[in-house]
Formats: sequence, C-alpha cells, structure tokens
Amino acid sequence: METFATSFKLKNTYRVNSIIYSIKGLPLVRKILPDSLYKNKGLKVLGNIISAIWEIAGTFLGKIIYITFMIVFMSYLFDTDKGNTFLHIFLFLTLAGSVLNTYLFNPSKDKYYAIIIMNMNANKFALSNYCYSMLRVVIGFMPVTVISGMLYGIPLWICIALPFFVVMSKMTAIALDILKYKKTGTASNENMPTKGYWIFVGIMIAAAYIPPFFGIVINFNIFTILLTLSFIIGIVSLIQIYSFKDYKKLYKLILTTENVYAFKNATSSDAVKINMAKRIDYDKDIASTKSGFAYFHELFVKRHSKLLTKAVKKQTLFIIIIFAMIIMISYIVPDIKENLNTIALTYLPYFVFIMYFLNRGTVITQAMFMNCDHSMLTYKFYRRPTVILSIFKERLKTLIRINLLPSSFIGIGLATLLYVTGGTEDPLNYLVLFISINAISIFFSVHYLVLYYLLQPYNINTKIKNSTYIVVQYLTYFICFFMMQFKLPTLFFGIACIIFSISYCLISLMLVYKLAPKTFKIRL
Amino acid sequence: MKLIIKDLKKSFEKKEVLNGINFEFEKGKIYGLLGRNGAGKTTLFNCINEDIPIDAGDFYIEDENGSKPAPEYIGYVLSTPNVPEFLTGREFLKFFIEINEHKIKDKKDIDLYFDLMKINESDRDKLMKDYSHGMKNKMQMLVNIIASPDVLLLDEPLTSFDVVVAEEMKQMLKSIKDNHIIIFSTHIMELALDLCDEIVILNKGILEQIDKNYLDSDSFKNKIIETLKEE
Repeated sequence: METFATSFKLKNTYRVNSIIYSIKGLPLVRKILPDSLYKNKGLKVLGNIISAIWEIAGTFLGKIIYITFMIVFMSYLFDTDKGNTFLHIFLFLTLAGSVLNTYLFNPSKDKYYAIIIMNMNANKFALSNYCYSMLRVVIGFMPVTVISGMLYGIPLWICIALPFFVVMSKMTAIALDILKYKKTGTASNENMPTKGYWIFVGIMIAAAYIPPFFGIVINFNIFTILLTLSFIIGIVSLIQIYSFKDYKKLYKLILTTENVYAFKNATSSDAVKINMAKRIDYDKDIASTKSGFAYFHELFVKRHSKLLTKAVKKQTLFIIIIFAMIIMISYIVPDIKENLNTIALTYLPYFVFIMYFLNRGTVITQAMFMNCDHSMLTYKFYRRPTVILSIFKERLKTLIRINLLPSSFIGIGLATLLYVTGGTEDPLNYLVLFISINAISIFFSVHYLVLYYLLQPYNINTKIKNSTYIVVQYLTYFICFFMMQFKLPTLFFGIACIIFSISYCLISLMLVYKLAPKTFKIRL
Repeated sequence: MKLIIKDLKKSFEKKEVLNGINFEFEKGKIYGLLGRNGAGKTTLFNCINEDIPIDAGDFYIEDENGSKPAPEYIGYVLSTPNVPEFLTGREFLKFFIEINEHKIKDKKDIDLYFDLMKINESDRDKLMKDYSHGMKNKMQMLVNIIASPDVLLLDEPLTSFDVVVAEEMKQMLKSIKDNHIIIFSTHIMELALDLCDEIVILNKGILEQIDKNYLDSDSFKNKIIETLKEE
C-alpha cells in the first residue's frame, strides 16, 4: 500500500509537471510565466486538477467508447439476437484485449521511473499497481456494461460479472506470460507483440465479427459456462501472479530505454531519431552529378527513397486498384452508379480529408530535420539566407512532385468515375475535379514545408519545443475533419479550393522568403 | 586581427548569465576558456555565433588597420558532433566546398583535407551515420577549418577523442593558430594549460584573464581554482 502511494505520487508529480510544461509552451502564455513556475502553488493545484480529471477520464472514457463503437454499434450490423451478439463480441474482443493490453507488461514511463531510476521494490510496485489498474478496469467498465447490458435484456448479474471477466482473462494472459518467462527467460513487451500474438488477436477479432454475420452467436448458457471457467482459471492465475517474486528481473528486460521511449512518446524522442536513421539507404550506385544545393538535396532524396518516392508509389498503386475496383463494381451492380455519381459530384470536401491523410508532408519534414537539418543547422554557413532559401526551393519542388503522383491519379480516378457513372451536364466538372484535387495536394505540400520553415519546432535533442506548431497541426487536422461534414457541389467547392490553394501558396511563400532566414533555426 | 567584445550582456528570464563581458581576443593565440558547470561558456559561444540574440553590448572583428570587417565567418565546433548522416564524408566535403567556394582561399584536393585530419581512406566513402563519435567530431572540425574562419570556437572538442587522436588534434590546432583566433572551452585544466596560450575564466558572468607568466604551474592551478571557487 505504501509502495503504491509513493509510486502514485511519483506518477502524479511528473504528470503535473508535464501539464505545466505544456501550458508554458503555449504561445502568449509563455511570455507571462516565469521559469520558477514549477514551484507555483496555484499552478500546481490546477495541474493536479487536470491530472485527476485525466485519471478519471482515463478510467471511464476509453471503455465507454470501446463498448459503444466496437460492440453496440457493430451489433446492429447483424440480424442476430442483440443480447447474445453483445456477449459474443464482448467475449472474443476481451480475449484479444487480454494479450494486447496487459498493464503489467506495458513498458510505461511510470514503471521505468519507479523501478529503474528510483529503485523501488519491484514486487510491491508491480502487484500494488496491478491491483489498482484492475480495480480501474472493474470500475471503468461497470457503468457501461450494466447500462448497455440491461438495454439488451442481459440479466443484471451477468452485467456485473462482465468487468470481472475482463480482469480474469487479463490475469490469465499474464500468468501465461510469467510462465513463459520462467521457462524461457524471455519477457513479452505488450507494445511489440510477436507473430503468435497477432495471429491469436486476428483469430479472436475474426471470431467476434464473422460468425454473427452468418447468424451464429454464442448463447447465454455457453457464456455462463465460460464465465465460470474464467473465474476458476483466473483465480489460479492470480495465485501465480501473486507468488511470482522476480518482477525486478522481469522488468529489467522489458523496461529498456528503447522500449519505454519508443511508444509512449513517439513524436519526440531518440527512438524516432534512431528509426529515421535506419531509413537511410546507402547504395554504392546512388550518386549525383549535380553540384551545390542541388547535389546535396538530390542525395537526400535518393538516400531516403524508401520514405519518399517508394511510399507514394505504393499509395498510387493502391489508389489505382481501388478506383479500378469501384468502376468494375459499378458495372456489375449498375444500381449503385447513381450513388457513385452523386459522390463524385458532391463529396469533394471529403477528399480534403483523404488528401490530408495521403500527404507525406509531416513524415518528410520530420525526416528532413532528423537526418539533415538537425546537424546542418549547427553550421553557420547553412543558416545563411541564400542557403536556406535555395534548399527550401529544391525541397518544395520535390515535395510537391512526390505528392502530386497519388493526387493526380485520384483526380483521374474521380473524373473517370464521374464519366462512367453517367457523366454530368457541365463538362467543366471533370476539369475542376482533376485540378482541385491536385491543388489540394499542392496546398498540403506547401503547408507542411512552410510550417516547418516558419515554426521549426525541434530542439537539438529532436524534441518538439514549439506548441504553436502542435496547435497548427491539430488545427489542420480538425479543419480537414470538419470538411467531411460538408456536401457541396463539386463545381463550387472545387473552384473555391483552387482559389484558396493558390492564394495560400502565394502568401505563405512570400512569408517564407521574408521570415525563414530568421525563424529556421534550432530551438534552444 | 582582434575579436572585441564590449559590455556583452545576456540573461534568461531573471537569471543573468553574461553580465557585461569586456574582452579582446587576438589572432595567433589559443585561448582556454574555463568556467564551472553552468557558468555560461556555451551561452557566450552561442552569442558570438549569433545563435541567440544578445541583450546588450557589442562584438566585432577588427583587422590590423583598425577597420571593422563584417564577421565573415565564425567557426563553431560543438561538443556533440553533428554531421548529416545520409552523406559520406567525401560528399559532405564536396558540398561544403562548393557552396563556400568564394571563401576558401587555397582550395585543395578533398583527399588532402582528409589527410590533414588523418581520416583513413577506407572511411572516406562511408555514410557518416556509420562513423564513430570521434570520426564525426573530426569531420565537424575539418569543415570548420576548411573555410578558414577568422574566429574558431571550440566547445569541449577533445574530450571525445582517444589519446592518440587528441594529441594529433592538439598539434593540428597549434599548426593553424597563426591565422586564427581560437577560443577553446574545456573543463580539463591540464588540457587548457598544455594547449592554450592564455587562460580566460568565466565567472559570475564576467570574463577575466589569468596572467600565466609569472606563476609556476602549481600556483597557477591554485590561482585558477581559487578564482573559480569565488562566490
């Protein structure tokens, strides 16, 4: 209990500090707050409140979303008995989740700090925190299983037993992992499941959704038997977990720096840098005949072809296949032609979101920083305005070219789709479709690169130091996401897109030429 | 040629790091910059290299005739080497030489530069991501030397080298010092005493030179430590 209290305090302290840190990172606020604010009582209280809300939301929110979307919504797809379907999907998804989400084998930062850095008693830490996380599972699931279960006419006692079923199957999975560790000396990291796990998870997910499609679901009696069985196995497992005394050794295996930082903090860490460095491919034949900036840039592009050109080629192939399939289907099932025609004529805003997802801007600018600018910006010659702008120009050309490949095929695909599904009265639509999709693609390419040059967010340790950058990134996402809500005539929306893209590009390029020599530097 | 710093001030929020630096660095000498952890050595370098804006004061390079040429090029070798890992050593040098063509006075063949740094022929065409720490450091130093900057700032440069290479680098620095102002920050006092012509101490935000001439080596060391300990 004491160990738990200490470890919980520890976790809370760094959570509060990171909340304060991100508050301090916000533009405007940054200027007002002094460095000594980590001592500030009021902020600490605010941080604690946010932290508590976080803890509570973490307990309930995920589970509500999970049950609603993965089970309740899905059950409407099938014609089977709703109560049984609910139990069916719940059963198999729980089994899949039991190996994917173990808590004990998750290489999280709080474990790393407590066990590796603070040298806390690993056995006590593991067991007390495990108890707490299982308690959270029960409390978090209880309201949503009871409410949704009752709505489906599932007996109350089953609804109450469901959260315990989750705990029991998780404990069984852990007991098996511990057994495996005892036998082989290897520990599983839940964030890097082996092939065997994936196969198991795949089978379970398939078992959850495919049989109901054919009208087969487990019935109430089978579920009761399985429930009882799980309690017996679960209790045996609990004894196993409780009597295991080697958590320290086990955690030393799981909690390597690489594991801990690889997943919890994927956007800003050494792991990303290592990952990025791995993507440099050196082939003796890769060379460049150019000189100066062009030489430098060409080598960068060629050595990162996996990340740059090969990835978009795959995308393009995928897009061609999808359009080919849709067009084929429209011939096989002519009834949907009309729907497809409407999509081509009114769903263009949807494609803003798709283009957002296809655009490689974020990854590419990240690679530019990690593998190139991170080191080059420490050289003064590289920060001369002429150098910055010359390289910017080369990069912009490449980025636009790379992203235009998939987008031009989407443009052609949409225009073709429009044609084969009955065409349109105004032939201008074809042209607008094609041009606007490409304009959106160019917009995203310019957007990401300009953002990178104007807000260069990384510091020398490749951590993101600029909250404005993050805010703008999220804003981009939300705007694109909201675009999906609109259904506008292609002609109107397309032309608006083209005009917007052109003016955005002009303005932002002007800004870069004016400001980038000052803004494009490593954050301190 | 001199690097003149006048009343340079820099603070971070309320913490004054550089509190009015006044100093003249002369060509042909290697200056050893000593200071305790957090004294502001790197901040001083960052200011001179124009990485961060200064709060007050001025610094400039003055040539023999008393005129002030623009600080054409300041070389700054960081303690952690940063080289573009997707290039080979040779490609990096080629790129660097091409875009600095007008500044490099007596351009040599790339291999001669590698020879200067004693970089093995087998390593010259490898990607720099496969270079060792010391090798990367050599490349970084080389790039800074090729352009023959007026001022060369070295932040803890020799600590990552093995003893043999460290000795080579020391000789190399001595051989080029006639044409440069070299400022060398270090924690290792023996290195500073051995390599540097002048010892400068950064303490409480102020630079002061320790007169090396009239003290013997032991009392000189004590003097440095005394100065550093002053609160």
